[in-house]
Amino acid sequence: MSIFEYNGSALVAMVGKNCFAIASDRRLGVQLQTIATDFQKIYKIHEKLFIGLSGLATDAQTLYQRLVFRHKLYQLREERDMKPETFASLVSAILYEKRFGPYFCQPVIAGLGDEDKPFICTMDSIGAKELAKDFVVAGTASESLYGACESMFKPDMDAEELFETISQALLSSVDRDCLSGWGGHVYVVTPTEVTERILKGRMD
Amino acid sequence: MSASQSVKKIIEINPYMLGTMAGGAADCQFWHRNLGVKCRLHELANKRRISVTGASKLLANILYSYRGMGLSVGTMIAGWDEKGPGLYYVDSEGGRLKGTRFSVGSGSPYAYGVLDSGYRYDMSVEEAAELARRAIYHATFRDGASGGVASVYHVGPNGWTKLSGDDVGELHYKYYPVEAEVVEQEMAELPVT
Repeated sequence: MSIFEYNGSALVAMVGKNCFAIASDRRLGVQLQTIATDFQKIYKIHEKLFIGLSGLATDAQTLYQRLVFRHKLYQLREERDMKPETFASLVSAILYEKRFGPYFCQPVIAGLGDEDKPFICTMDSIGAKELAKDFVVAGTASESLYGACESMFKPDMDAEELFETISQALLSSVDRDCLSGWGGHVYVVTPTEVTERILKGRMD
Repeated sequence: MSASQSVKKIIEINPYMLGTMAGGAADCQFWHRNLGVKCRLHELANKRRISVTGASKLLANILYSYRGMGLSVGTMIAGWDEKGPGLYYVDSEGGRLKGTRFSVGSGSPYAYGVLDSGYRYDMSVEEAAELARRAIYHATFRDGASGGVASVYHVGPNGWTKLSGDDVGELHYKYYPVEAEVVEQEMAELPVT
């Protein structure tokens, strides 16, 4: 089993009309054994910027702690929050620093940039950025997620419809992956509010 | 990756004998069907049904002869013969064990935990079926490679009957219903001044 499949994860982010949604599964496993069903994979950087980290759980937690540290320093120096595009470049640089001994993580970044324009991107474990206008996926269930998102996505969905779409895409994809699932966690972010929801999924 | 949620893992060898599937699906399906053929030939040659002891030994001997060639079979042969109920564990390493309760497969340690703590020799059929269902459910919860449907069969003097086939996704919420969360902080509109 590859090191990226040791803990198991599924992440997806989607763009809607003036909003975005980011969703993850809730399983923490050690190869085939499930240890926890409430493991957090999506973290808030600031009110309009979220990062999901898939892959090895210990690297995801450490990377998150380093990113929070860098963002807090940025806030102190610049006296404002980081833009999502800038944050993505920061994550990319931090990952490439470890080019020959990388963090075994694949991040999914989602935020509202200037004029609340939704921004999503993903990267590989050494920082290669992939921007997308519609959706990005990561984790052990990524192949299923690509298929589900490609068929279910429509541009310019509102927050309600976006929540339904991303939830169905996530749940149907993780049901085909034995290493991810055991529930779902969805954040839907608009310029005025952040809604966090837990999904009831198959617990096998 | 799961190929199917609805794989039949209990194989009907004949109307009074069942085999369970763990390991390689093709190996289990083929060799169980082959065992069914051999059991029928025994009936025709000897004018009586084969015992569970005999059937399990037939299978174990075949698997032993293929030892080291990569067959993957972990199975339980359950049946009813003149001596009463019989349960044997047979695997592709060539092992064969008689016993009163077994659990097989990657999820077996989790099932054993529930099975061993709840088992009594004098359980009723309903109690035993519910214990088996829970053992399978708990294995599917903890083991990534287990899931789908929990099938329960009963083997009696007149052969086997299927008691239930429950989707474990629904079993979870039946055993552990979602409780309404205590709301700590609720968003409310500020009064307009």
